[in-house]
Amino acid sequence: MPKQEEDRILRVWTPILLRSILIAAMVVLGAGLVMTYTFAPDYYVERYQAVQQGHLIGKEKFDLLFDRVRQGNPHAVLTIGLFVLTLVPLARVAFCFILFIRERDYTYVALTAYVLAGLIVGVLVGSVG
Amino acid sequence: MLEILIDLLALAVGAGFIGAISGLGGGVFIVPALVIVAHMPMKVAVGASLISVVATSAGASVAFVRDGWTNLKVAMVLECATVTGAVVGAYLAGVVPTVVLELLFAAMMLQSAYFTVTKRGDDILTKGDPLAEHLELAGEVPDLGGNLVHYEVVKVPQGGALMVVAGLMSGLLGIGSGALKVMAMDYIMHLPLKVSSATSNFMIGVTAGAGALVFLARGDVATTIAAPVAIGVTAGALAGSRVLPHIKVESLRTVFVVILLLIAAEMGWRALSGI
Repeated sequence: MPKQEEDRILRVWTPILLRSILIAAMVVLGAGLVMTYTFAPDYYVERYQAVQQGHLIGKEKFDLLFDRVRQGNPHAVLTIGLFVLTLVPLARVAFCFILFIRERDYTYVALTAYVLAGLIVGVLVGSVG
Repeated sequence: MLEILIDLLALAVGAGFIGAISGLGGGVFIVPALVIVAHMPMKVAVGASLISVVATSAGASVAFVRDGWTNLKVAMVLECATVTGAVVGAYLAGVVPTVVLELLFAAMMLQSAYFTVTKRGDDILTKGDPLAEHLELAGEVPDLGGNLVHYEVVKVPQGGALMVVAGLMSGLLGIGSGALKVMAMDYIMHLPLKVSSATSNFMIGVTAGAGALVFLARGDVATTIAAPVAIGVTAGALAGSRVLPHIKVESLRTVFVVILLLIAAEMGWRALSGI
């Protein structure tokens, strides 16, 4: 693939990717806030005051999180919205990684692989930290 | 609940708006707003800010990438440095005492103020160094007349070293470290200022994303705070970027510097009075 074609693909598809995931995250977060306001306003105030005192809920297991989303738990919907938001950089780097593999540009395959690995290490460091 | 939500959204919209028109990003303003105004612990503010910085970076990058201002290859090379610093910084944020974080934040505000005062014109090079040429980092940027001007890039390792520091500060303090990133690309690597700003903004998504993933996986993100803050900062940043072409930012430079110095003084005072 010529370099100009690679650059064109990056400039056309990167903004589409960024915008799509950003809009999806904002929709989920907005829906979560409306659900919280409608169904659990007292819980929100209670959590807000607890956070001011430094009391966080802590780690949440993914399978339990999805169970609570299915049950319509507003807090779980908000948490999913935040996870979707963090997919923005992951998806963008993964897209570049695949594009460079197609183009056999191994220098940039290695560089984007390193960044992807760094993001995954971030999750692992947080999980055990 | 509505009152709290409106207060948080107002703080976040304001931080996102000022962050966009000053070019410093929302994180620089949302962290002190949450700590000083909303009385949140520093680590909660850092977690919420990292998430919102991912959103503002994505929102602002759409137009910059589409219009060709972002140097995507420079971003991909330097992201190796920022992601390393960000993961280490976000890990350290869980163990470093709050006093140290507040002092570092004050220092970063002073650096941002210095950067705002000393912004200079472009110093475009026509010959790059061998590493930059091997990585094909050169690019083209339109001048005032719309003609494309070719620019070359130099000193990638030195720029990368400063990017590790930028990533470290981002993970520790929840800011995009945009001022530090632009300084590295503009002053050291000789990219044109507007390309440096657009590329820095693009990279901030990965830098803050790496930090945000550490915070999320560790359970250190307060969902009730981070969700409205992310929405508010994004809305404020979008409004700021719409207003930006219609205002004289130069005339506001003094206001930004005063705000940054006040934040530095307040955060420094909080740290020193807590020792």
